[in-house]
Amino acid sequence: MRLLACLLSVMLLAGTAGVAAQDRFNLPDGPGRDLIYGQCRTCHDLQSLVDSAGISRRAWNAVLDNMRGFGLRVSDQQRAQILDYLATYLGPNPPPAAPVAEKPAETVDGAQVFADQCIGCHQENGAGTQDFPPLAGNHDLFLAPDFPVVVVLHGMGGPVDVEGKHFDNEMPSFDFLADAEIAAVVNYVRSSWGNDGLASGVEPVAADTVATARSKAMTPEEVHAYRASLK
Amino acid sequence: MIKRLTGSGLSRREFGLLAGAAGLTFGLSPASVRSVLAQEAPNPAEIIAGKSPDMIVLNAQLGVMETPLKLLRDHAHTPKDVMFNRLHFPHEGDASWYATTEPPGAPRRDDWRLRIDGLVERPRSVTIADLEGMDQAKRVMVIQCAGNGRSYYAAKEKVAGGQWKNGGMGNIEWEGVPLKAFLDDQKLVPSSLAHWLTAHGWDQPATFEGSGFAKSYRLSDPALDNAILALKMNGEPIPAVHGGPVRLIIPGYYGNMNVKFVTTLLFEAQQSPSAFQSVGYRMPLVPVEPGQFEANDYTIYNSVPTYGQKIKSVIFSPLADDGAKAGDVEISGVAFNDGLATITNVAVSADGGSTWQSADIKAPESPWAWYHWSTKAKLASGTNKLMCRATDALGRTQPLDGLTRWNPRGYEWNGIDVVEIAA
Repeated sequence: MRLLACLLSVMLLAGTAGVAAQDRFNLPDGPGRDLIYGQCRTCHDLQSLVDSAGISRRAWNAVLDNMRGFGLRVSDQQRAQILDYLATYLGPNPPPAAPVAEKPAETVDGAQVFADQCIGCHQENGAGTQDFPPLAGNHDLFLAPDFPVVVVLHGMGGPVDVEGKHFDNEMPSFDFLADAEIAAVVNYVRSSWGNDGLASGVEPVAADTVATARSKAMTPEEVHAYRASLK
Repeated sequence: MIKRLTGSGLSRREFGLLAGAAGLTFGLSPASVRSVLAQEAPNPAEIIAGKSPDMIVLNAQLGVMETPLKLLRDHAHTPKDVMFNRLHFPHEGDASWYATTEPPGAPRRDDWRLRIDGLVERPRSVTIADLEGMDQAKRVMVIQCAGNGRSYYAAKEKVAGGQWKNGGMGNIEWEGVPLKAFLDDQKLVPSSLAHWLTAHGWDQPATFEGSGFAKSYRLSDPALDNAILALKMNGEPIPAVHGGPVRLIIPGYYGNMNVKFVTTLLFEAQQSPSAFQSVGYRMPLVPVEPGQFEANDYTIYNSVPTYGQKIKSVIFSPLADDGAKAGDVEISGVAFNDGLATITNVAVSADGGSTWQSADIKAPESPWAWYHWSTKAKLASGTNKLMCRATDALGRTQPLDGLTRWNPRGYEWNGIDVVEIAA
């Protein structure tokens, strides 16, 4: 059993070969994990968490306070979820790994996925920052039926001009999200902040579209090239 | 792509696919597992261009890496490709220019301005060319991350953050303009209210809400008398990743105090409110225990910044994997402190602290450089526990139990060094 666990961990690393360096660190499955993927990678990769594994709940609580000083902005509820996850799965006595039950698709709320995963960089109002492109008023959202889907799934790396502003940053992959979650967040972004006025006759993304895109592995650079080909 | 990579939710088919992709079969030996892991480790040169592939990465996105002691011991002055690195913000987008060991290029260098402002009547701004035209001075010094050795505190209670061993240091020759003379020459006319000097770096946090990087020093701090606005590192323009085109170097002070990419020097009434000065990079004034004092309990009243380096010594040879045999052996390494007093003794034990002998100490290049020391001893068959402990002319020495200085951010480890050798 131990050998199996060891092999699995090797394969986790091997299975992610080719993706950006900051994506190499996978965390044990558990409630709150995806929130950490969404919020923490704005500033640092997850080695900081993996290497700190084993510290007490108190110490994790202090880390979160500390991160607030470095710009982490989450709701009290999100903070509590993150702390519970860290204190449990990266605490002194982590439970054995167990798969988390799949969330039923009908409960997925695109606005909630956005709040958990996207606002660290793109901001609550979708306006972005000087470093991260805006989603509000971003015509790229409608370049192709699957375009923002592949960006969320595989990330995107390379310089881009968005609505007249230049950005050069790498978006990490969010392939840990379920198909329905990615579909919901893309539909949310495409219909928020007046974005529904940018294009007409757009069909909502279905989970099947995400599943199809997921079956075609792409690097962040290939997604960048795909975007250029659609321009 | 398989959606959930973690957990035990892989089907047999998925398991087989992954195992095939990784070139794995059942019955794999631990050694080959390690080699697969090693292949998947990030290449330091892809994180910071020009870094040796042998560097140990502690955080890719922040460019944090330490030097294996085997590389460190080979050089009198630590070369740029193997020097440890610590950045505080992602080197992405606009900040990607400093993710290299090359010095900043001409436009950036030519356009660089160092502003001196705050509580002065006559604020100034100078270029790199202005600085190059002034008298220069050299400082050879150990530069060391305040978190170097943090991993050793785990023997008491593990501390969050990069789990540094001993490789977060280097011995470097810096060259630049002496700070005090420079400030005098600028004829700034500081206000009598100005008691602090704050240095700001060019680097900025990834989000608006984050705290910028700044460090403050008392204007009366004698350490500033030795400080330089460094333009060169080991004889060439400072590599971008190590703070070029201009870095504030304060000999004897921990790494974070030596602000990279300096853009601004401010005369201030108070120290900077930057989180890196007011909460981070500080040590409690009194010993603290886990649970008694948390990582955010630091205030400017109950703690001090990580200024001067605590006396420390490190064994460079033999290391655990040098293949040392039983019998005669030369034990050698380095020692250093804040430069305020000569290191007068390095005591070495080859038997786990039962007996100690004084090593021969070579005179250092400067009060802040590392001192090389060596001594002859005998290794017994089996496990040998080597130890070293430095003491200076002020009687300052390393704690036999470094854990007595445990602190919730894991700074300033200076317990005696211990290396176990299987001979």
